[in-house]
Amino acid sequence: MPERRLLLEHSGDPEYRTIEGYEKTGGYQGLRKAVTMDRQAVIDEIKKSGLRGRGGAGFPTWIKWNGIEKEKTKPHYILCNADEGEPGTFKDKELMENCPHLVIEGMIIAGWATQGDKGYIYIRGEFVDCARSIKRAIDEAYAKGYLGKNILGTGWDFDIYVHLGAGSYECGEESALMSSLMGERGMPRLKFPHAPLPTVAGLWDCPTVINNVETYACAPFIIQNGGEWYATLGASTKNSRGTKIFSVSGHVNRPGNYEVEFGTTLMELLEMAGGMKGGELKACVPGGSSVPILNREMTEKAVIGYEEMVEAGSMVGSGGCMFLNEHTCIVTFIWRTALFYARESCGKCTPCREGTTWMVQILERIREGAGKPDDIELLRDITKMIDGRSFCGLGDAAAWPVAAALRVFPEEFEYYIGHGRSIVQSPEGLAMMPESDLARV
Amino acid sequence: MDTIPVSNLKDRPRPPKPEEVELRFSERAVKELEQLLTHYPDKKSAMLPALWIAQREYGGWLPPEAIAEVAVRLQRSYAEVEGVATFYTMYHVGHPIGRHLIEVCTCLSCYLCGAYRIADYLKEKLGVDWGETTPDGMFTLEEVECLDACDRAPLLQVGDQYIGPVTREDVDALIERLRAEESPTTIRLADEIVQAQLHASDQEKVRG
Ligand SMILES: Cc1cc2nc3c(=O)[nH]c(=O)nc-3n(C[C@H](O)[C@H](O)[C@H](O)COP(=O)(O)O)c2cc1C
Ligand code: SF4
Ligand code: FES
Repeated sequence: MPERRLLLEHSGDPEYRTIEGYEKTGGYQGLRKAVTMDRQAVIDEIKKSGLRGRGGAGFPTWIKWNGIEKEKTKPHYILCNADEGEPGTFKDKELMENCPHLVIEGMIIAGWATQGDKGYIYIRGEFVDCARSIKRAIDEAYAKGYLGKNILGTGWDFDIYVHLGAGSYECGEESALMSSLMGERGMPRLKFPHAPLPTVAGLWDCPTVINNVETYACAPFIIQNGGEWYATLGASTKNSRGTKIFSVSGHVNRPGNYEVEFGTTLMELLEMAGGMKGGELKACVPGGSSVPILNREMTEKAVIGYEEMVEAGSMVGSGGCMFLNEHTCIVTFIWRTALFYARESCGKCTPCREGTTWMVQILERIREGAGKPDDIELLRDITKMIDGRSFCGLGDAAAWPVAAALRVFPEEFEYYIGHGRSIVQSPEGLAMMPESDLARV
Repeated sequence: MDTIPVSNLKDRPRPPKPEEVELRFSERAVKELEQLLTHYPDKKSAMLPALWIAQREYGGWLPPEAIAEVAVRLQRSYAEVEGVATFYTMYHVGHPIGRHLIEVCTCLSCYLCGAYRIADYLKEKLGVDWGETTPDGMFTLEEVECLDACDRAPLLQVGDQYIGPVTREDVDALIERLRAEESPTTIRLADEIVQAQLHASDQEKVRG
């Protein structure tokens, strides 16, 4: 299938960032329609659309919206997760920079559907351009009466505030994000069933909807054109509907965001990105650093869809798709992945705090030529001790890539340990590696 | 592996008592904080924005006096504010940084696209290692994790700007440009972050 630009159709047109330009393309028609509908009818449209969360887990969006109390006893909050931190992902960035009104409109629709009082968009601190663009859009929306008091004459008041982070991957985890927004260290909170769902007790213990930027950006299209129309997109897959933006990077000729219908293949995505650069395809990490790595054969068979991707051996994740060419040393790549998680672990729970560091230490030992034959088994053991045993998803996300690489590329680890150096010795391969590798050639 | 930098305990001054704290926020900063406080149901939630204001007001980093001032203004303890600030990599707690912070992303896509060679070049050119500042106080070099603009790998962040993909020549040009820069980009970054969180109506009230 070719690229299918729905959310990104006008991305890149500078006028689209302004409210006038946005309205010209049908902008805010979704909201105008929503406020004439019963709140429950809005949620039903989202249900019909089959929309699932684009932040990583693919949870059905309508269930979250529907989980907010209908008889209002407390303020209701609409929270947008714009902390995009997953290595390889930069789709929320493009949406916020180029299509800010789409995100804002989606949040207002969610607010209408759930009797929201206030919305917060939590943007990672590094994304200053996004924050500026979103702030400008919010100011324009206030001036036009889409935000503020008595929105579109409905008598309903709704505000949106921008809140910036200050450098932490863990703050993308939804409960850690709430801790951070409430002025604490970005550490996760106890989850359901041990604690109430965020839809019951989220921000300041009040009902809270939390969704990813891309998830909210889908809502205006769904309301405007109907859930049934949206569900025709991606209908060839088991249970994935609509389009998904993939951020393609690594060894490709045209890195960038490509929006595709579910049902597109990874090889088609690679072709959109101009094909491989500097060598043949060796591996692919299709959904951000957290998802299992695929080898060439697996990549060639993979179809994009939440269930389909699991069958292919990986996950859709956040859509951060990295293609690796033949000069990539998988051991070094996995060491770098593990290092990311060790640095970003919040330190709250032992399996993740200690386990991520141990994995780095063992991989470092292998990289330095001092790996032991038992190290492969040891690494595998550690991944099992972290996966499913850590307090939040970061631990699992740290374990999966290592476990997958050991499964899919065992020969690279065996070679490295046996020979004390990487299986990759091409000049291009060595040129990528950090110093300690280079020093040994 | 690398350890996460923590301030050296023995060198740490005793945190000041609230009544000893000298409040140094400018009039503008006080008004900005006042507006930001209206965005949240409690004072504590303004912690991150308040720390950004403080980082701007105190010259791009957070000395103990800045932590103490935020604590007083939000009515929290010094320890709590310090605990929050040290969690986040973009707050520079307890150690000053250069006028320009050059952050090199060496995470996955950037490493695949040669970030480690750019890093080597920068270290050699500036004569500093990760986390160090040039003797003239001009540049601090830091390694960062994915900045999520991997389509522009290898990528650098300086102040509020992303720069990439970069070559050695781009690095040379960047250093030249930064040397001529009048205001420290570290302070500008903090200011931009504060401004982005204020509505137009808030900004009007700040201007008075
Ligand atoms: C360690 C970790 C980091 C995460 N980072 C992000 C992120 O940057 N952006 C995001 O939208 N979701 C992130 N998530 C997923 C969120 O916890 C949550 O599932 C998501 O915001 C829900 O929105 P959705 O239903 O629209 O996908 C992360 C999860 C974990 C465990
Ligand atoms: S798994 Fe544990 S240590 Fe790791 S980030 Fe989550 S809570 Fe923190
Ligand atoms: S890896 Fe450097 S920006 Fe993503």
